[in-house]
Parts: sequence; structure tokens; C-alpha cells
Amino acid sequence: MVNVWASWCMPCRSEAPLLDRAHAEYGDRVEFIGIDVQDSQAGAKQFLAEFGLDFTHFFDRDRVIPNHYGGFGTPITFFFAPHGELMRTHNGVIDEQTLAINLDDVTRLGE
Amino acid sequence: MEFTLLWAVLTAAALAWIGLRIWPERVPAHALDRLLGAGITALVAGRLVAMIAQGVNPLTAPGDIIVIRGGVSTAAAALVFIATLAWTTRSVRDALDAVAPATVLALAGWHAGCVWRGACLGSVSDLPWAWALPGSQATRHPVEIYTATALAIGAWVVSRLGWRLWARAGAALAVISAVRLLTETLRPSITGGPIAWYIAGVVIGLIAPLVARAPWGPGARAPT
Repeated sequence: MVNVWASWCMPCRSEAPLLDRAHAEYGDRVEFIGIDVQDSQAGAKQFLAEFGLDFTHFFDRDRVIPNHYGGFGTPITFFFAPHGELMRTHNGVIDEQTLAINLDDVTRLGE
Repeated sequence: MEFTLLWAVLTAAALAWIGLRIWPERVPAHALDRLLGAGITALVAGRLVAMIAQGVNPLTAPGDIIVIRGGVSTAAAALVFIATLAWTTRSVRDALDAVAPATVLALAGWHAGCVWRGACLGSVSDLPWAWALPGSQATRHPVEIYTATALAIGAWVVSRLGWRLWARAGAALAVISAVRLLTETLRPSITGGPIAWYIAGVVIGLIAPLVARAPWGPGARAPT
């Protein structure tokens, strides 16, 4: 699961606690990756210090990765199948049920 | 991205309007305005409580309040809805009973709005009417459609009840809570869902008419 976020993005703050819980729940079966876009390093570090989000994050100042995979705005959440194919893209804040269903689909493909 | 939620809200408002038209008995003046006002107030209150529970300070991030998809506290929203409705109608005695069926029908509309949001599905199922998300091999229960259907039936049942004080309002709360409780097992969840609040809703809804008729309750007869 690849989540595109930024420290200046208000909706990203809303979904951060849910992503943290999801990582605790699914982190042993699904790889979580964060992509911080169009941001300052200081802002990004402060965001991560505030919300935890204890998984790998990459700094993408020019928004190259989300532009490559499509989707618009921030946040975006990409779900990849275990073999690397992009399965689904969710634009905007993701709710608990949608996140749980998509993570469940990813784990089923990995079984 | 919140526009799909707006469609769900409009679906709920449309069904509230229909509910007030088909069950108009004792409905207070401007009932639709009051229902919508109470609904919006409840959404904001539920969102504020959810933000605080998630560790987000509403004072430092006031813009987050409108990000409804970020989470809404069901219990806080329900309490504020009832309180606002009682306050705006100036009568906690009768108004809640009058608008109870339309409220349940409006909630059915909100759940049916999953069609606009693309968020109807729940746990995996092999039943013939199960749907699959695009690109998925797993078919799933259309749990929000189940919920909307059960609530619509519940609204009709509530409308058939007699006019014993708080019988309809209590039944509405019990129906809403019971439907959510019964369908919760079909909803994949990360946080576990507010199961305890749904159980509390069923219990409070069932005892509400008894409380209303208690010697100290609002329906107690004045001594002659």
C-alpha cells in the first residue's frame, strides 16, 4: 500500500491515525510505504513525529511517483498486488471500511 | 472528493422529505429544516469528537472538521442529533416521536448513498448477489444495501407504532442501533467499530418508553 501525503495537506492529517492503526493491524502481511510530496523536510519530520506512521517513507518533492501512477490531489492511496501490479487507486481521504477492504484484497492475492 | 458524500447527504435529505410527507402525523412546523439542522450539527459534533479521539486538535486544524470521511463519532453524533432536535422543536416530549420514522428513513438514504460513494461492500461472500470490486477476485456482501433496506423496513415498523410517549423515538433508536449491530459483522474494520454504543442504543431505545412513563419521567401524569 502506497500512501501519498504531505504535511501541509489537511485531509492527510485526518487519515494519518487510521493509517497508523492499519499498519499495526496489517503491517505483517502488507508492506506500507509513504510518499511525502511537494513538502519541506522539516514539515515532513514534524508530521511523522506527530502521527507516528512507523513505516518507510520517501521524499518526492516533484511529485514524480504519483504522477507516474495516476491519481490526483493529495492524499492518494495506491494498492498494489503482491506481484507489483497496481490494483486500485483511491483519491482523497480513505475511510476505514474502504481501507480495510482494499488491504483484505491485497492479503488475499498474497495467499 | 467529498462530493460523493454530498450526494449521499442529498439522498438522505430526499428520503427525510418523503418520510415527513408519508408520515405527517403530529409533525412539528418546519420539520425538514429542523431535521437537516440537527443532522448537520450532529455531523460536526461527531467529527469534532472523532478528531479529538484521533489526537488531532480541532483548534490548530479547524479545516479538518469538514473532512467527514476522516471519521465521525457515531455516539456523539447521535446524542447531539437528539439534543438539537429536542431544542429546536422546543419539545422533547412529542417531537422526537413525530419525526422518528422519517429520521430512520433518512438514515436508510444515507446508507443507500454508498452507491454514489462506491462504498457498498463488506466482507467476502459467495452468495449469488455478492459484488466484486474492480480488479478483485473476491465477491462481497453489499452490506450498505442490506443496512439501507433493513432501515427502510424499520422506518415503516416505527411508523405503525402507537402514540405512547417515546415509543416511536425509542423504537427508532433501537432499530437504528440493532441494524448497525447486526450488520457490523459484515463490515471489515480496523478499529473494531463502536459495538458497545450500538448495544447501548438498543437498550436505551427499548427502555425509553418506560422511562417516559416513570413517576419522575416527562410522561408522568400530574397529580389530581
